[in-house]
Amino acid sequence: MSPDARSARPSHLPDPEWKKGSAELLVLSLLEAQPRHGYDISKLIQLRSGGALKFHVTSLYPLLHRLEKQGWIVGRWVEKAEQRRRRYYGLTPRGRQALRAKHQSWKDFVALISRVTGVQHG
Amino acid sequence: MSRDPRVRDEIKFHRDRLIEDYMAGGMSRTEAERRAFLDFGNPLQIEESVGDVHGRWLEDFGRDLRYAVRALGQHRGFAAVAVLSLALGIGANAAIFSLVNAVMLRPLPVPQPNRLVQITRVSSVGRPGALSYGLFEYFRDHVSSISGAFAESGGDQAIVIDGAEDFVTADLVSGGYYTVLGIEPAAGRLLGPDDDALSPSSPAAVISDRYWERRFNRSPSAIGSAVTIRDRVFTIVGVTPRSFQSARTGHAPDIALPLLTMMSEGQRTEITNNWLSVMGRLRPGATVEQADAEVQVLWTSFLKTQAAQAPEKNRPGILRQRASAFLSPDGINPFRYDYAQSLLILMGIVGLVLMLACVNLSGLLFARAAARQREVSIRLAIGAGRGRLVRQLLTESLLLAVIGGTLGLLPAGWFSGRLMALFVNGRSFTVSTAPDWRVLAFTAVVALLVCVVAGLAPALHAVRFNVNPALKEARVQGRWWLGKSLVVAQLAISMTLVLGATLFLRTLVNLHSVERGFDSDGVLTISVRSSRPYEAARGFAVQRAIVERLKRLPGIQSVSAAQVLPLGGGLWDRVVQVEGYTFRPEESESVGFNVIAPDYFKTVGTPLLVGREFDDRDTGTSPRVAIVNESFARHFFGATPAVGRRVTSVGVTYEVVGVVRDAKYQNLRQPVMKTLYISWLQRDGDQPTRYSYLARVAMDNPMGLAPSLERAIGDVDSSLHIRAALTYATLVERSIATETIMATLGSVFGALALIVAAIGLFGLLAFQVSRRTNELGVRMALGATRGAMIGLVLRDVSAMVAAGVLIGAGLALTLSGLARNMLFGLTPTDPAAFVTAAFMLGLVALVAGWLPARRASRVDPLIALRHE
Repeated sequence: MSPDARSARPSHLPDPEWKKGSAELLVLSLLEAQPRHGYDISKLIQLRSGGALKFHVTSLYPLLHRLEKQGWIVGRWVEKAEQRRRRYYGLTPRGRQALRAKHQSWKDFVALISRVTGVQHG
Repeated sequence: MSRDPRVRDEIKFHRDRLIEDYMAGGMSRTEAERRAFLDFGNPLQIEESVGDVHGRWLEDFGRDLRYAVRALGQHRGFAAVAVLSLALGIGANAAIFSLVNAVMLRPLPVPQPNRLVQITRVSSVGRPGALSYGLFEYFRDHVSSISGAFAESGGDQAIVIDGAEDFVTADLVSGGYYTVLGIEPAAGRLLGPDDDALSPSSPAAVISDRYWERRFNRSPSAIGSAVTIRDRVFTIVGVTPRSFQSARTGHAPDIALPLLTMMSEGQRTEITNNWLSVMGRLRPGATVEQADAEVQVLWTSFLKTQAAQAPEKNRPGILRQRASAFLSPDGINPFRYDYAQSLLILMGIVGLVLMLACVNLSGLLFARAAARQREVSIRLAIGAGRGRLVRQLLTESLLLAVIGGTLGLLPAGWFSGRLMALFVNGRSFTVSTAPDWRVLAFTAVVALLVCVVAGLAPALHAVRFNVNPALKEARVQGRWWLGKSLVVAQLAISMTLVLGATLFLRTLVNLHSVERGFDSDGVLTISVRSSRPYEAARGFAVQRAIVERLKRLPGIQSVSAAQVLPLGGGLWDRVVQVEGYTFRPEESESVGFNVIAPDYFKTVGTPLLVGREFDDRDTGTSPRVAIVNESFARHFFGATPAVGRRVTSVGVTYEVVGVVRDAKYQNLRQPVMKTLYISWLQRDGDQPTRYSYLARVAMDNPMGLAPSLERAIGDVDSSLHIRAALTYATLVERSIATETIMATLGSVFGALALIVAAIGLFGLLAFQVSRRTNELGVRMALGATRGAMIGLVLRDVSAMVAAGVLIGAGLALTLSGLARNMLFGLTPTDPAAFVTAAFMLGLVALVAGWLPARRASRVDPLIALRHE
């Protein structure tokens, strides 16, 4: 990227890796309210998007483990009577910060696209 | 494969929930499981991807390694052949690289060696040349981009400590030596500018750590000890650190002395007496380009002054001289210039050997891949990832490469030490070829390269196997083509190596058979040293007494002496005027010049053509006489007789009394110089130690005399000792040591390459014949003759040999130009060498192909047809 292009960009430009970031944003958002296990997460993404977004397990679990390694989420095993043990993931304080930043960055990005394309939210 | 069980639990939980949900939606259990399986894919791969997030590759690698060890353990024959050929290839590379490292790459063990520059004259062939003391001062004081400079020269000295005499290697260093290099003393202090004076009140000396140990047993009292050198008393003021030898590569002095104190009047004042090496350190921020630019300006102005004082005709020659400043982190290193080319060519040769080893390993791995086809197919069928399998197969070749490399490194250290000794060849040269981090890193990189180059293609090939057996036939065709290419590659590399060996061998043969003009057989050469210089008359008497004493030894036929011996490294130059001859304007007035004793030509075996040798009639009071060689006589006197003519040099006129056959003095390659010999009887003031003494001995081994020499010399004068006694044959061998090394190593590697190629060819053909037994049987049944069957196989052989020869010759043509000036009596494109190499390759291929061909011709049609 040339220095000119860099200086011409507004400072609040979204994360250029927004594609990859969007997966992280989805997962982090779902964990904001409460801890969930992997199956729950994939189910919710599918449900809330009306089936349009589907997270394949091959990428979901590596993503969860990567976020955990980054310290944004933390996984713990939960065992309850009469239930199989399952692994719940919850947001860490750093994860919350990351989520806020990603939220903002996403909003900026959407706003920018809207400004450029003239498409407004309904 | 065992994975993290918790990850497996987590994924299993996900899958089971999915199945439950499908069943809740009304599917049967079987249907739900099928759908879940389709959604899910291979759970192992998910586990692997999660493992990768956690850096599981290391664990995988450990598992692959264990697997590779087991697999190789099960195929010991394969492993042994592979490891052996790699050990050879990698070891040879490590050995030669150790030499390259020791001679060309290793910097001086001083702070910031990359800021050191050398300032030198530059010869017409680009070699650095020495500077006079005057020029050293001139550059030291005027080049502003260096913060300091020093001058240095090495040599032997006789020293006396506590009345005991010792011969040591000395370094004469100017005052800035240790400061510019940045050396700190191990004990006491080092020499500084104050010590470097013409006649200091208390002359100081510094000893090396090695000498401190050898002579003083590391006693602190060494500092303050007195050392007598040439009747002058020096005080030892300090010890240099163990890590530091000298600014000169390979030079390990015992003692360092102040330069100015040790110099003769002539060495100090004559501006053209070039004998010093000069180095400097760049000022912070300054570049070597700036230093060089300054040197150019200063040099040009110096040359102009010199030219203005010289006769008109000498001026262009003076102005043509060059000087330069260049980065020299490895210090003063003449070996870089002496051996760079040989070492790089050797590096090329062992590089080819390594390529051969790689091709060999590739062939073995391809064969193994074929044998493993079932195993790989099953693994693929049950869902192993191809990348994962390739990684596993590569681990196996990595293991082979690492074992081969480690095994190769062990003899490499020994081999490089031996090779260094061969190159150094009797001269004093102390340099460690022990593997350091550079050698280890080089070997590791080579091993890795081998792993990838030799292992990648077979690994990729192995996982390409399709589970579908319908592709089987095409695959076998593919392998046949592949096997052929590998054999052609081996033949091509062998061709290049054999051709190189032929060129170097022929060079050696040519050097041995070139007309030398002397006879080295049965001649002993002796050099002497003395603890103190003689005054002129005594020196003259001593040198004659040495000859007389040697004559009385048993079995001696004749004894003589000369300042320079044939192949001893080159005659001196003298400007002459020849009566009746006018030099052309651009013609050099220099001729070769030597001082010899009576009976010299008889002893050294150079035939006297006309006139007489010097004898005792020629004295300091008789008319001055000279002997010239054929080239001299032919050039200056043409067809007219030389005897009786007059030659003047340095103000003395000599009458020619004899003409001798031309002899090679510089080395066997250089053409003979026009040479003027004068008698030592008509020249006094020389030290006896400046002569080499020769004895022609009537015994099979002239070295049999060696034990009695020290006493004989001691009889003449108690301060005289033998410096070296060698047969002349040894000197001749030493003069062509590099050529001998190149020819020997070239031949060894060439022969090795031929053997490897022959085995490769044999294996391929044997496999091919056994595979085609059926077809061959049909041919036999249909009436093919034995000759036709042999021809069938040998046609393949000749096709491969032809391809190998052509590719190898092409490769050799592009490479051999590099060796052009190392060859003698032939060019790199010598057709005879190409034909010889091709012939040898063909012969070896024929031998390798004969057995399979014979087997093909003996196929019994009945058995063959049942074979399938």
